[in-house]
Amino acid sequence: MLVEMAVYGSTVQGGQEMDQDRLETAETSARLVGNSFKLGYRFQRYWDTSMALAFFFAEVGTGVFLVSFYLDFVPGMIAGLVVTGTLKPYFHLAHMGVPKKSWRAILRPDRSWISRGAIAIGVLIGFGALHIIDLSFGVAVRLGLPEFTGQLLGYLAVAGALAVMCYQGMAMSASESFTLWASVLLPISSFFYALTCGVMITLVAAWGVLGAEQQVMLSNLAVALLVLDAAIVLAILLRARAKSKGGQFSVNLLTRGEYARSFITLVPVIGLIVPVIILAFGEGRWLAVLATAMMLIGFFAFRLLMFKAAVFEPITHDLAGSIGLPSTRTT
Amino acid sequence: MARWGMVFDLKACIGCNACVVACKQENSLPDSVFLTRTLSYEYGEYPNVKRVYIPTICNQCEDPPCQKVCPSGATYTRDDGIVMVDENKCIGCSSCAVACPYDMRTMLDQSMFTRGLFGTGALTPFEEQGYGRYTPGTSIKCDFCSERVDEGMMPACVATCPANARIFGDLDDPDSAPSVVIRERNGKQPLPEKNTKPKVYYVG
Repeated sequence: MLVEMAVYGSTVQGGQEMDQDRLETAETSARLVGNSFKLGYRFQRYWDTSMALAFFFAEVGTGVFLVSFYLDFVPGMIAGLVVTGTLKPYFHLAHMGVPKKSWRAILRPDRSWISRGAIAIGVLIGFGALHIIDLSFGVAVRLGLPEFTGQLLGYLAVAGALAVMCYQGMAMSASESFTLWASVLLPISSFFYALTCGVMITLVAAWGVLGAEQQVMLSNLAVALLVLDAAIVLAILLRARAKSKGGQFSVNLLTRGEYARSFITLVPVIGLIVPVIILAFGEGRWLAVLATAMMLIGFFAFRLLMFKAAVFEPITHDLAGSIGLPSTRTT
Repeated sequence: MARWGMVFDLKACIGCNACVVACKQENSLPDSVFLTRTLSYEYGEYPNVKRVYIPTICNQCEDPPCQKVCPSGATYTRDDGIVMVDENKCIGCSSCAVACPYDMRTMLDQSMFTRGLFGTGALTPFEEQGYGRYTPGTSIKCDFCSERVDEGMMPACVATCPANARIFGDLDDPDSAPSVVIRERNGKQPLPEKNTKPKVYYVG
């Protein structure tokens, strides 16, 4: 029992039993060892703000492209491609240690989600640009190509967009290091957050251009997606909490520990609940702009805090029997 | 072909960190870069308090997650099971660093090579000579001192350990020192639930 306390933080402080909340806060602060020579939880420190921005802009850009493609809204398609084709690579290259060799990132699509994602972005940008050129100037018909050529190019771009919308989550969930990430829910959250961004930004950008019916449809869809995003975020936290002590540790960081104030304020409240209320009960373009801005802030906070709250677990989990330490694994 | 592995004897380790220093010296590692560490852990309650030392190193996994996620093919496994990084192919994306459950990858930053470890912070001739082998921005890891192993020597940390807490050898040879220790003292691999099949074992 004493040894168990040492692993998860002492249950006794000043001779009195601590309540559960304080215990978990103590546990969080007691066992974080940073990069030191102590045994304990270590923060993920390799993917940082640059990577979060790269993921964020890829999801925003592809979401906008996809929704605009569905609505035949050419300015939206162009904006989506520009965001995905410029900001995403810029921040990804900023993160890379050797950016001049970044072309090598496409060499292993057989095993790496980074490679698959890079190729998918190429597909999206290439076919998307050709589709837009064809839509704007009717190039296929002028060249005597079959009529469906333009549409085919569009669908190929959509295939690329769908892959990009999911691959960031796939790249994170492929890492077994962090319980918080190692979940099938990560690519699902990537996809639906990207779609939410696409719907809300297109709603705002095409306000007045779209018919009233389409506007209502997008607004209702945005509310439904925001509710779905909230459910997915909650499911990610619950699943991580149940899966291992490391997952529990990360969730505590987000909900009660170091990042609790930022996470709770920005992700569920500003990013999800308030936009739902605004869209469900408010009317007018500027309220929609406000809701969209808040959702984007919340989404970026989610991306960044998912990076920051991921922790490497102590390696003693299964060494317990051999070295006299308790097992920290949940069974 | 041998299949190199290592055993840490936790009862023997005295936490002197000679292995850590030997590794830094052998590999000319810059400031704040360690390819092996000896972690300390205190537990219990006064007056019954204990401290153990737990050496850590790249586990040279048979199913290395760092290799699986590498988008450029820079991480590869030699025939003898040592997981290597080809710095000419590494793009510094740090996918390997987030994929390694043991946090045993290090990303080399340019700033690490501009300050020396001693005195005024200027690089010593030893540091200047040693840092030349690295490419800033890339990922590095322990490779069991492959250049020494190829010459029939022990890794620097093993050769240095005064307590014989690090036991190195061929895991495919049932009579090798690590195989015997693993068999007789029920060696355990770190985080087996990650399914990486480490070639590093711990005995207590």
